[in-house]
Amino acid sequence: MIASDIIAYAWQSLSRHRGRSLLMLIAMGISVASVMLLTALGEGARRYVHDEFASLGTNLIIVLPGRNETTGAGLNAMPGVTPRDLTLDDARALARHSAITRIAPLNVGAVEASWQNRKREITLLGSTHDLLKLRHWKLAAGQFLPDMEWERTTPVCVIGKKIRDEIFGPHAALGQWLRLGQNRYRVIGIMASEGRTIGLDVEETVIIPVASAQSLLNTPSLFRILIETSSRGAMPSVIEFATAVIRERHYGEEDVTVITQDAVLQTFDRILSTLTYAVGGIAAISLVVAGILIMNVMLVAVSQRTAEIGLLKALGASRQQILRLILTEAMLMSLVGATAGFVIGIFGSWGIRLAFPELQVYPPFWAILTSLLVALVTGLLFSLLPAGKAAGLDPVRALQGR
Amino acid sequence: MIRLEQIHRDFEVGDQIVHALNDINLDIAHGEYLSVMGPSGSGKSTLLNIIGILDHATSGRYFLNEQNVTDMDELAESRARNRHIGFVFQSFHLVPRLTAAQNIELPLVLAGIAPALRRQKVQQVLESLSLADRAHHTPDQLSGGQRQRVAIARATITEPSVLLADEPTGNLDQKSGSEVIVTLEALNQRGITLIVVTHDKNIADRSLRSLQMVDGRVVSDRHGR
Amino acid sequence: MLAKDFIRLTGSAIISHKLRSFLTMLGIAVGISAVVILTSIGEGVHRFILSEFTQFGTTLIKVSPGKTQTMGMSIGAFGTERPLSIDDAEALKRLSFAKSVVGIIQGNAEVEGNRRTRRTTVFGTGHDFPNAFSMPLQRGQFLPDDDPLAPRALAVVGSKVKAELFGDSNPIGRRIRIGGDRYRVVGIMASKGQVLGFDLDDTVYIPLARGLEMFNRVGLMEIDLLYHEGVPEDRVVSGIRRLLVTRHGREDFTITTQRQMLDVMGSILDIITFAVAAIGAISLLVGGIGIVTIMTIAVSERTAEIGLIRALGARQAQILSLFLGEAVVLSAFGGIAGLIGGFGIAQLLHLLIPALPVHTPWTYVLLAEATAIAIGLAAGVIPARRAARLDPVEALRDE
Ligand SMILES: Nc1ncnc2c1ncn2[C@@H]1O[C@H](COP(=O)(O)OP(=O)(O)OP(=O)(O)O)[C@@H](O)[C@H]1O
Ligand SMILES: [Mg+2]
Repeated sequence: MIASDIIAYAWQSLSRHRGRSLLMLIAMGISVASVMLLTALGEGARRYVHDEFASLGTNLIIVLPGRNETTGAGLNAMPGVTPRDLTLDDARALARHSAITRIAPLNVGAVEASWQNRKREITLLGSTHDLLKLRHWKLAAGQFLPDMEWERTTPVCVIGKKIRDEIFGPHAALGQWLRLGQNRYRVIGIMASEGRTIGLDVEETVIIPVASAQSLLNTPSLFRILIETSSRGAMPSVIEFATAVIRERHYGEEDVTVITQDAVLQTFDRILSTLTYAVGGIAAISLVVAGILIMNVMLVAVSQRTAEIGLLKALGASRQQILRLILTEAMLMSLVGATAGFVIGIFGSWGIRLAFPELQVYPPFWAILTSLLVALVTGLLFSLLPAGKAAGLDPVRALQGR
Repeated sequence: MIRLEQIHRDFEVGDQIVHALNDINLDIAHGEYLSVMGPSGSGKSTLLNIIGILDHATSGRYFLNEQNVTDMDELAESRARNRHIGFVFQSFHLVPRLTAAQNIELPLVLAGIAPALRRQKVQQVLESLSLADRAHHTPDQLSGGQRQRVAIARATITEPSVLLADEPTGNLDQKSGSEVIVTLEALNQRGITLIVVTHDKNIADRSLRSLQMVDGRVVSDRHGR
Repeated sequence: MLAKDFIRLTGSAIISHKLRSFLTMLGIAVGISAVVILTSIGEGVHRFILSEFTQFGTTLIKVSPGKTQTMGMSIGAFGTERPLSIDDAEALKRLSFAKSVVGIIQGNAEVEGNRRTRRTTVFGTGHDFPNAFSMPLQRGQFLPDDDPLAPRALAVVGSKVKAELFGDSNPIGRRIRIGGDRYRVVGIMASKGQVLGFDLDDTVYIPLARGLEMFNRVGLMEIDLLYHEGVPEDRVVSGIRRLLVTRHGREDFTITTQRQMLDVMGSILDIITFAVAAIGAISLLVGGIGIVTIMTIAVSERTAEIGLIRALGARQAQILSLFLGEAVVLSAFGGIAGLIGGFGIAQLLHLLIPALPVHTPWTYVLLAEATAIAIGLAAGVIPARRAARLDPVEALRDE
């Protein structure tokens, strides 16, 4: 029997029972589509986080005070304070390495800001000129902190968009004196809104020179030191250098944690990938249910067509041929169903992209491939029983419809 | 061309054994026209099924065209059925969703013949059985006689050497029945070996050889009219 | 029709096609057990996390410096120009509803003892810490109720620090160095294990004022207040607010109640559990389609039978209920099998992976079974109506 005849025959018997075939198609389609859509969502979330991190800066190394032997580095790194502060001098000592292109010491705190009679609590960032480029931030107006000696306190500030809207409202903010704590700072720049990143909303921050922040917050210690290296390859040597320099400066005590952006990103990546796999796997259970349905319907089909199968045998169809006919029927079913599911999945993720443009919802290639493959394999596996049953029918009895 | 030697066919029904065929010895030559008669349950259909290799003897030997059928595997059996044997059933057994032409070409489809050649052969057979204008009708659009003629066309499309008909007129009225018999006899004239199981004395009388079966045994084997 | 006859008729229809009925039920069963397993895990994790939190008691209130909060953390804990002080904590102690009040500073330092060193988390805190956080001691005592501004140099070690530095020997009374200063060990905390990835045993506790001095800080990271049970939470919150506003001249702090945290946590976890269950329910939907398919087949197979019953005087409603009954029986039994299977697999998972908390919520289980029956009804409607509307004459001819 030639292949096109097998397929034509299977197609004919499927289209004779349109309603039942359609239902099987829907079942298979729903399963494949849901696997694709859910993995697409998971993958979209992963990409979103990935891009967020990439926008934080490239080749980034973060030095933070404190080191814990069990907790180690990673997401659980607690806000550490240590007996020996991480200071501006430490940061400057790090800047000596030739592979370091930018370095920005950082202080963070909560401070009340006021202008005329408007008040609001803001997140204060103390840092230096390099921070803007290091974090890939953009200015909406004015300029960023001046390039000057880190120890100098200068009464200038750069404000987030939301701060400008809420404190200055319709008034021009540039050039105004904003009161932070006891001191006043002249507004020299306004941040563009795209600086919104994980864990820190730039729209709600005020940035002042690091030395000013230290005196305002009354602390000699830094919250973090951010380092950008010239290349990815230079990162290990810079990490080693930073650890060694701080240890030397802190009298042999290694009391800082040095992490890379990549390490944090990888943790997120791992979590989100696992989640995607899990969600896809859970959705794939429905493929099994669809497989059971196909098996059931094929069993029914075989028992309804007992006489026909008997006839085929009388006309000289071998056991092999009968097996192949029934398997083809089921495979055709799952192939068409899976294709329908694939199309729904593609259009569905397109729909989600329209609704949430910031999410890159594309079904990952592996998910498309596996869900289609699993659909076909389920179709095949679950039709083995009915096909075997058909092939094993005794022709004499089958012709009698028994 | 057909030789049965000491063929037995037993069925186990519960703890009882039914001897459907009991020591059948039979020689059928090429081109013979043989009718099989006997009361219900005498083993006529069983005999036909064994000759058609649909069923297997419990013991005994069966040669078809000098080949020992008893030794064949499943694949060889189905090939032999496809090439050498044509079946015509009392209840037609047409596939309801297929047209007359599609039903007729089924054995060729199973044999893997190319579509173009198939179409040609089907056309020939349809014309010789004067069914050409019914080619694209489905079985429910055909009369009983037409259905049986389609079934005959299907049985002969592979040009088999033996045509087995189990009560081919059983479901038909007098007129269509005799049409079918005339068709079968015409095929026999052209050289095909024809074996007809029937309850109709008139049909048996027309055959050149007639078997009489009772309780799984051949009780008479009349040659000549 | 008598109920008994009704059951016999539907039952015989199901039993006459054993394999087919079994597979139809299996489809529903797989769906239901997916939902049950997933909600069991979801609920288990939910309970686990909540119990991790509630072990600190629900009458705990946290006061942190600064009003801005990001990702559940107070920016003010990193630094602020108007810190919370030891005096603030002392003032809170005098509130009538306060059962225990502890200020906290948390940092990281090198601990040296028994000629070994280890970097660990250091908590600067007060006498009431074990009460406020229900953290019992394994041995010895916690920090004494010294003058908060000039406490003695005493320390309590977590069980991990004790094991790492002293092994099996008894550290009580021994001297250790924390961040270079000398302390005397007075107690060992009982092991608490990890809470949300943070090892509570890898810690040492020193008096708050000494912690501030060691870390060169003026402000506390937070003050925790445990109030007497029975006092309305609103009163406690407003009491704390009034006192601190009077002391600071404005509201430059954030009050978080344990209940708020639990609520937020709980609703997030509920959403996750629901989402996971919904994904599992896709299988249930596919199982439902299975019922529609099989019932449609059953109706078309039994067309002649339906015609006969109608000819014998059955009303449309009876035919409808017969087929609906069949669909519901299939889904209900499939559902029960799924419940049992799901529960079993969930328990098995818990046995295989003891770290995975599992709890099968019975309301969900009942809900799942109700869903299964509802699916049976919904899936049965179309085929059953088709059966009921068959023209008896046509149906009989279908032999
Ligand atoms: N599959 C089977 N199982 C058990 N007994 C069988 C089976 N097939 C046939 N028989 C028995 O074998 C005997 C011969 O049956 P067979 O069908 O050959 O009779 P027949 O001559 O064709 O009768 P009829 O004229 O009624 O068609 C009968 O007694 C029948 O009961
Ligand atoms: Mg017979």
